[in-house]
Amino acid sequence: MYGAPPRRQFLALGVLVIAGFVLPYLLPDYFLYIGNVLMTYLVLAIGLDLLLGWTGQFAFAHVAFYGLGIYGTALLHMRLGIPFVFGMPIAAAGAALIGLAIALPATRLRTVYLALATFAFAECAQWVFRTWDSVTRGPDGLRMSAASVFGFSVGNDREAMPVIAVITALVLAATFYLVRSKLGRAFCAIRDSEHVAAASGIDVRRVKVLAFVISAFYAGIAGGMYTLFQSYVHPDGLGVWTLVLLLTMVVVGGSGSIGGMVLGVLLIGILPEVLRAAPRGLLVWQEFAYGLILILAIMFMPRGIWGLFTKSRSA
Amino acid sequence: MSAWRRGFAALGVIFLIGNAQAQTPGVTDKEIVIGLFGPLSGPLVAYGVDPLNAARMVYEDINAKGGIHGRKIRLVIEDDKCNPNELVAVVKKLITVDKVFILHGGSCTAAIAAAQEYVVREKVPYMMLNAAGDNAVFPATRYMFGSFQATQRVYGSALAEYAIKTLGTKRAAIIVHDDDYGKANLAAGKAVVERLGGTVVAQERIPPSITDITAPVLNIRAAKPDVILSGLYPAPAVLLAQKYGEFGMSAIPLMQANQGIPTPSVYAKNVGNPEALKNLYHTWAFNDIANEAIRSRWTGMYKKHFPEREPGPFMVTGLPSVLSVVDTLQRMGRDLTREKFVDAMEKLDLKTDTMTGPLQFGPGRRDALRSVVVIKYDGVTQKVMPGLFTWNGKDGT
Amino acid sequence: MNLALQAIASGIATGCVYALVALSLVIVYKSTDVVNFAGGELVMLGAYFGLLLLVWLNLPYVAMFVLAPAAVFALGALFDRLTLRRVAGRKLSKHVDLVPYVVATIGLSYLLKGAVRVVPYTEEVRRLPPLFSGPPVFAGDVVLQRQDFAIIVVTAIVMAGLWLFFGYTLAGKALRATSQNPRAAALVGIPVSTARMAVWGLSSAIAGIAGLLLAPKLLMTPDMGSVVMLAFAAAAVGGFSSLPGCVVGGIALGVIQNLVGVFISPQAIAVTPFFVIMLVLLVRPAGLFGEAVVLKKV
Repeated sequence: MYGAPPRRQFLALGVLVIAGFVLPYLLPDYFLYIGNVLMTYLVLAIGLDLLLGWTGQFAFAHVAFYGLGIYGTALLHMRLGIPFVFGMPIAAAGAALIGLAIALPATRLRTVYLALATFAFAECAQWVFRTWDSVTRGPDGLRMSAASVFGFSVGNDREAMPVIAVITALVLAATFYLVRSKLGRAFCAIRDSEHVAAASGIDVRRVKVLAFVISAFYAGIAGGMYTLFQSYVHPDGLGVWTLVLLLTMVVVGGSGSIGGMVLGVLLIGILPEVLRAAPRGLLVWQEFAYGLILILAIMFMPRGIWGLFTKSRSA
Repeated sequence: MSAWRRGFAALGVIFLIGNAQAQTPGVTDKEIVIGLFGPLSGPLVAYGVDPLNAARMVYEDINAKGGIHGRKIRLVIEDDKCNPNELVAVVKKLITVDKVFILHGGSCTAAIAAAQEYVVREKVPYMMLNAAGDNAVFPATRYMFGSFQATQRVYGSALAEYAIKTLGTKRAAIIVHDDDYGKANLAAGKAVVERLGGTVVAQERIPPSITDITAPVLNIRAAKPDVILSGLYPAPAVLLAQKYGEFGMSAIPLMQANQGIPTPSVYAKNVGNPEALKNLYHTWAFNDIANEAIRSRWTGMYKKHFPEREPGPFMVTGLPSVLSVVDTLQRMGRDLTREKFVDAMEKLDLKTDTMTGPLQFGPGRRDALRSVVVIKYDGVTQKVMPGLFTWNGKDGT
Repeated sequence: MNLALQAIASGIATGCVYALVALSLVIVYKSTDVVNFAGGELVMLGAYFGLLLLVWLNLPYVAMFVLAPAAVFALGALFDRLTLRRVAGRKLSKHVDLVPYVVATIGLSYLLKGAVRVVPYTEEVRRLPPLFSGPPVFAGDVVLQRQDFAIIVVTAIVMAGLWLFFGYTLAGKALRATSQNPRAAALVGIPVSTARMAVWGLSSAIAGIAGLLLAPKLLMTPDMGSVVMLAFAAAAVGGFSSLPGCVVGGIALGVIQNLVGVFISPQAIAVTPFFVIMLVLLVRPAGLFGEAVVLKKV
């Protein structure tokens, strides 16, 4: 838990990056698309879990920062010609800044109020995306042109996969170091007990705010990743349902662990594709099925599937 | 040339032709593979299940009669949930895994627009199922065909034209939703009103999830219109009629676009106030209301194919797109490639007794239907008003 | 001026429904610390149960008004017994104990919505006949439906009933005790788990009643539960702890929404409740009526 991350984790990252470069030559677009979507969700899920599982803050604003990342990166490129390599970090930083602005008042709030306030913020953000149509094109949706990465045009799944794999690997690597750092330990301390953490000299408020900001930054990066392989963004995709999907991934996979996030994203991300094969009459039960999965998961596997396999190695 | 050489040359040519045919994805000697999709779950399932089944039944019917030029149609059916990400996944699967010949699906324009870039890049012919399609047919792209039951622009202009020309009103209040359909509807309605010499005295754009319609109706009332043009969805459309009846405004004609009145009798029951329906008109793109025989023909066919399900009000909306696909395939003969399909579809000029106008495309035109009728509904009987209202292709663009 | 008066009058009626749903949310929160994200779906269920009883079984209106909330009561109690009791004491990851409840209620909301949507009858927008039908009532230039009066009256009755229940009956006081300190309550002999079930049942029944009142006004679709966001805003004004605060919050919200729609823009109506929530929580996290935020005992 302390010290440098184990080598096997970096090995996994290596495999991921290699897969990102090789798979586009082997698989049809559909599977590449799913892969890109899953990697984006992974970054989103880890960001959400930083708040939920690592610092115990129940905040719902994640999807808003995702949207900021998407619109930000896309518009910086389309309106100002800023290439992706700069556009994404700038958009993510913008999301983080807004995250800061939200975090300052929000971290004063107790759990239910925090959930409510951040939920309200997410809805307000979606409304802005929908209504400010001179910028976002509102309900018509924004058509995004291909991104430009180091001079290469990246606009479809095949071109995007290597880039997305690299970004995901970088994010994972950063997360490995984060959870082992002093800050990461402070996260855990706060989650376990705010009072004890404060008594040990941790500035609770500051750490909570930092978690918020970092989480927003992750969401912003995920937004940037989206612009690489998607050609269109619509405000309807940035609402409650996406957040519930993320939450399901976090809960079913296993909150508080990166392995859990990977598992949750894989399972819940693949689920709709698996359900496609269902007999047509059963398709209409999907919503019900999601609700049931959530309830059953939280009843019988509150630590997620990952938690079933790993006895709590003290976080 | 020696006989051997001629023989080999002939073999070579046959080989090339055979391969060229085999190169076309989704087409074999015996079958044509079509990817058919729509919202089969989620909030918009009512707009997807029946129309998709309607398309299915027409395809199955053709197969039962021997197929098209000796080929049967094999369907790969998927659920897009009216969700952009889902629809893109479905399209990519159908094209790169199932290798369909053409795509036929989608009930929600916003979701379809998400896949447009990919479809155009991969050069796959795409026919919308029953979406209005405004944002994905303007500007027109080569491969994407749609609006088989007319665009929001058509509904908006038809209502406006009827109001100004036939009813002789001058001051229009327009109420729509703040989404893409609403935008298109408003733009066209406003353009027509102003072109014909009227004024738009109020325009209200409201969220589709609105629960209390008091405020917009108050605003409209304050503007003193002599006609109200509405592009609202079923629940808010009922609220509008209720509120306008409540406020004693029912002397003002209320013109409602298609989407607000799926089943007229249910709508009337929901409004619950016959006073409010005294001056209600709505657009419709089908002749099933004017002609009971047409309606029973299709519902009879539906019940034969899907005995366990009662066809809902939107079932007929799946028909124009499938009839157009079948017509195009029939016109093409045996030589099927995607490019030839696009060319043939572009020449579509299909007149059916079911649709209120001809289904047509052309160079630069990708919206099939531009003419609708206006129906007066007083809660008991539907009366088709004389006249066919055709969008001029310009208003609202 | 007339515009404003009408906006206010209609807003009060709609606001009372938000208040009822908010009451249901707050009762459950005060007693069990659970934020019920399925509150809206319980409202929706109440409406559909009512429609079922009225249209399919042809029961008289009064019978429906009693049986439908009873059915939702049973559902709420069942959910608590089956799911929440298992979730109690579970931690999401070590010590975050509120999240599982929220996840469970979110799951319930999708489960209920999905289940209702499967029934083809619900594809069409439906309407429940109102409690009182008839021509609207005029007060000067302001017009109100008779149903609006029914809503206001029922809300007042429910409020009064709850006040009496929690303040003056043994059962009510026992429930308050379990919410303040479950351990002490158990020590004194109060059956805490039964009390929780009762609270969930009661809260769900109130949501069901709200559904029966709302459905004639609002029209029934499986998505009508989204009205819960407005209830959250109303409850937030009351600080999630004060019952009268809910009512004031609900009415205020209904009125504000209409005034915003008339004087600013109908497009802004959708965002008003969220704006209100953020504003209230920013300025006074305890709401306008709630007690000052007290840290729970460690």
